[in-house]
Amino acid sequence: MTVQTASILDADAIGRISDRFDEPDWLRAHRAAWWKRADATPPPTGQEEEWRRTSLADLPRGAVLLMDVPELETHLPSGAAEHGVILTDLRTAVRDHPKLVERGLGQVDGPASHAHFWALAQAAWTGGLFCYVPRGVSVDGTLVARQTLPRADVAFHPVTLVVAEEDSSVTLLTEVVSPDGAAGWYGGIADVRAGASARVRYADLQQLGDGAWRIGAERVVVGQDAVVTTLNAEVGSRITKLGLDVLMTGKGGTSKVLGILAAGDDQQIDINTVQDLAADHTTSDLLYLSALYDRAHASFYGITNVRHGTKQTSSYQECRNLLLSPQAGAEPIPVLEIAANDILRCGHGATAGAIDPTTLFYAQTRGLDADAAERMIVRGFFEQVVSQIVDETIRERVLAALARRIGAESSDEVAA
Amino acid sequence: MALPNPALSQIPDSYKFGWHDAEQPRTTFEKGISAEVVAEISRIKDEPKWMTDLRLKAYRHFEARPMPKWGADLSGIDFQDIYYYVTGNSSGAAQSWDDVPDYIRRTYDKLGIPEAEKKYLAGVGGQYDSEVIYHNIREDLEKQGVIFMGTDQALKEHPDLFREYFGTVIPANDNKLAALNTAVWSGGSFIYVPKDVHVELPLQAYFRINTENMGQFERTLIIADEGSSVHYVEGCTAPTYSTASLHSAVVEIIVKKGARVRYTTIQNWSSNVYNLVTKRAVAHEDAVMEWVDGNLGSKVTMKYPSIYLLGERAHGEVLSIAFAGDGQHQDAGGKIIHAAPNTTSLITSKSISKGTGRTSYRGLIKVYPGCERSKSTVRCDALILDDDARSDTYPYMEIDEENVTIGHEATVSKVGSEQLFYLMSRGLSEAEASAMIVNGFIEPIVKELPMEYAVEMNRLIQLQMEGAVG
Repeated sequence: MTVQTASILDADAIGRISDRFDEPDWLRAHRAAWWKRADATPPPTGQEEEWRRTSLADLPRGAVLLMDVPELETHLPSGAAEHGVILTDLRTAVRDHPKLVERGLGQVDGPASHAHFWALAQAAWTGGLFCYVPRGVSVDGTLVARQTLPRADVAFHPVTLVVAEEDSSVTLLTEVVSPDGAAGWYGGIADVRAGASARVRYADLQQLGDGAWRIGAERVVVGQDAVVTTLNAEVGSRITKLGLDVLMTGKGGTSKVLGILAAGDDQQIDINTVQDLAADHTTSDLLYLSALYDRAHASFYGITNVRHGTKQTSSYQECRNLLLSPQAGAEPIPVLEIAANDILRCGHGATAGAIDPTTLFYAQTRGLDADAAERMIVRGFFEQVVSQIVDETIRERVLAALARRIGAESSDEVAA
Repeated sequence: MALPNPALSQIPDSYKFGWHDAEQPRTTFEKGISAEVVAEISRIKDEPKWMTDLRLKAYRHFEARPMPKWGADLSGIDFQDIYYYVTGNSSGAAQSWDDVPDYIRRTYDKLGIPEAEKKYLAGVGGQYDSEVIYHNIREDLEKQGVIFMGTDQALKEHPDLFREYFGTVIPANDNKLAALNTAVWSGGSFIYVPKDVHVELPLQAYFRINTENMGQFERTLIIADEGSSVHYVEGCTAPTYSTASLHSAVVEIIVKKGARVRYTTIQNWSSNVYNLVTKRAVAHEDAVMEWVDGNLGSKVTMKYPSIYLLGERAHGEVLSIAFAGDGQHQDAGGKIIHAAPNTTSLITSKSISKGTGRTSYRGLIKVYPGCERSKSTVRCDALILDDDARSDTYPYMEIDEENVTIGHEATVSKVGSEQLFYLMSRGLSEAEASAMIVNGFIEPIVKELPMEYAVEMNRLIQLQMEGAVG
């Protein structure tokens, strides 16, 4: 069975997804309602500030919707299940934990710039992840969910739902991999909620094939006194267009918003972030690093929004770009919109440039050839984020993925 | 206790330049704009055909182009409710101060223009509504071939030079408001500095809007020939009227090889003026262009002085200061385009918002491919004085060359309670302490101003700070 997406997708096709999986009525209604939303919220025209740097003209809208999704590989540390921690693909969760899923799925809008794609995924998801950590439960070890797509030329709009209840603690790594080749459309979205005083570390490692269009959206809600670290490691895809909202809605919440982008060939990566400081005493620090090879181009348009009437918020936005080829380009645009007076700290920084020739020269005087010296310097550049990845599993996975682009560390470099 | 700067001690408690002359202007068109109005302005000025044609072409661009949808709220502008051309009772530019009509002279006397000239100014150009009414330049500069006159006069007296450069930096179709200016421009300054001539003292012009619902569309063109240098200073005031006025100037500057131009603006329009200005300079090989841009007045300002670094080793700087009080929106900043190797630039922005004021820094750094070893630094600081004040920063960067060093940093802060406490413990009132902190905050920019403007800037800041409690 095939279902076509977007322009070809219609209410009937959405209904057939429910038929195919024999879904409960609430989910059927959920899909229909979000399909209406997707229909009523037109796709970006390219005039919007967030969409001026990425054209959707060549988005493979006709790609066949992936229905027979290969099994999601999950790893749940031993003992966690006994405490009620759930880590499973979303379809299984609908069957086994209908109440929990119904309560959490699609209750909110995603990033405004990606509203159409958020609605589309809510209506047309055929796979995804459900992660649930009950109140007061701390999970030791790393939860991992890895999705491998069988083909390059498909459309897939998975939904990731992460709910960490009050006082819980969890570290989660999600990964997606797809083969190189034809153009495909990966429209995955993530809805992450950290309850009061929860501790959440969420990393997403994207290694899609070189024809993939990643049009993604992520929404992270940080509750009162919660501490959340997110990491987006973008290594694959032809086009990545990610909207990420971090909503500091609870008093005293803290977020660290990290990104690592390693791109080459003709890759284009365009990130839109919003750090919404909507409650008193909240802290949100963002750090995005890009290493750009060949003809790769990275855009970053991020907004720090300090709401009127909030007190004592702290925030920073930092975007650094290392240009490793004369044809590489970067557009870092860290925007501040500040409507409050009583702020502790608010700032931003952006840089773009090549490796400093004296640094390169110095590394070479230590016996490294130019390539090895460059690799070492790029790894050093990423260290600013990597050093903040506390979890060993995540750090190793991210470094391994980066090595595909920046090259593996040789024994010479270790000796140096 | 006296404030540290004696100039701050005698501050009036409302907008100082808010009076207006009761005299009725002589030549006044009906409100509104049309091709006929544009053609009639050109006819009255007795312009050559190419200028009439350019105006009409620009008017078509103005009609076709949309209003900017970004930046400040411009919905209060009604282009059909504006006078596009107004002159007083003088005919043409007078040669000495005594020839200027009495009521206009009184206006300028209140602004202190002749005193300023006598003291240290090389030349003074004053524009009152649409026409340049007074223009003088020191004789020695004239002997060296420096031209400083009203733009209308320059079109008549230096037609070839004028035509060679007019509209080359900002074409008629650049944006809606530049198109409007090209269609209805009147007045402004024209400056030509010959090769290797250094104008040691600043040239000044003062602009003033006196008529309600008046649009002022002056057009300034500065050409600094190879190896020359000049500093041009303009100040602006307008009386306070209840309905909106529009100031939409265009300033074009050509800085040739090895030349140096600094352009300083202190904008203090009253709070009913929409100030939408296009300012752009091109800097050739080894040239230096600096914009010093102070925005304190107006209801809305949208102004981003630009520098196109076209020749190797050209250097551009923008120093921007914005102060937004109640109901004001200062959307200001700067743009630097690196279009040649080894070019360098620096943007420094300081903004202060108070009451319900809003400041927005909006800037662009663009580096084209092949512009190796270009360097740019952008530094923005904002101070937010009140709960309802707002500050935004939109720092655009487009970097398409690897071998460059581009950086942007910004901080936003409030006046710290420790700072206030310390100063008040030394005997200052809270308002005085706040004012002193603000003055310290803008100090790096004020020190770049000519002395009398630095005094005026401090005075204006003090005026804005009246009644402020941090």
